[in-house]
Amino acid sequence: MPRVEPRGRAGAPALSFFLLLLLLAAVPSEAADTVAVDVGAVYASNEGTSIDPALGTIREKLQSMFNYSSYRMLDRKRRSLSVGETGEFELPDRRTLQATPLPARGNKVRLSIRISEGPRNLLTTTLGLRRGGMVLVGGPSHKAGVLILLISAE
Amino acid sequence: MDCGTALGKINAKADGHLPREEEAALAGHLAGCSACAAEDAAISAAGPVLRALTGIRAMEKAPALDAMWTRVRAGIEESRETRRRSAWIARWAWIPAIAALAVLALLFYPAGTDRSPFHPSSFDVAVENVESDVATVALVDKGEDLPRVIWIIEDAKS
Repeated sequence: MPRVEPRGRAGAPALSFFLLLLLLAAVPSEAADTVAVDVGAVYASNEGTSIDPALGTIREKLQSMFNYSSYRMLDRKRRSLSVGETGEFELPDRRTLQATPLPARGNKVRLSIRISEGPRNLLTTTLGLRRGGMVLVGGPSHKAGVLILLISAE
Repeated sequence: MDCGTALGKINAKADGHLPREEEAALAGHLAGCSACAAEDAAISAAGPVLRALTGIRAMEKAPALDAMWTRVRAGIEESRETRRRSAWIARWAWIPAIAALAVLALLFYPAGTDRSPFHPSSFDVAVENVESDVATVALVDKGEDLPRVIWIIEDAKS
């Protein structure tokens, strides 16, 4: 009597491999022409003395630079952007940050940053930094303190 | 019945093909013909001799036949084992593939606020231009070990 081969099970590895290929194709590759922009919104105030552990090594820097007693991460977003592509990051109090990678050479990253509050343009700047570097943008008021934005690019 | 016909019937009888109704006619001819009777006796004796010879040959070949059967049985077992092994691989091979998918998903899936803490590698930042429509902007630089700060002083509120 001919034996029926379990073809359904034999197809599972092939299906998994196909899914793996799909995932690899879907994952945004951070190639040289792509910049991963990371924006963290920190609420700095004198309400309490807590320091958010999510701030990592940057918390000591914040404490040494500013006179606030409390630093709390409100939000953090990361976008992989191609050169010329604009990514929008929502900030507290209906503010938005738009980041656009510009052409750069070597290990450098150039970012055009625009922070707006409704129709008001709070800040427009162009930054040049190394991959993995960080710059802070602070000052916009929030509750009883201020917002400090941690902007890094890889 | 002549001797030629009788010889054909002797052979048919040795093969077991002679009809019963013809056996009496053949026996009558054999009773009267010694040559055909001798032929009948010789052919009738050949059957047991041939059977004995075949038995002897079979006994002689038995070890070789046993060895051949052993080889055939081993081949069948090996084929079954190969099929079992490939079925086992087909059944479990998807597990490492799924594990690899899970690891990749964990590594690359874009997460929100629960990612690793900030560990910037550099604070070397060049500010090419700064402007604001509604605020005064100050650049604060407190040294190489500290991040460069762009401070927005909102005119209406500050």
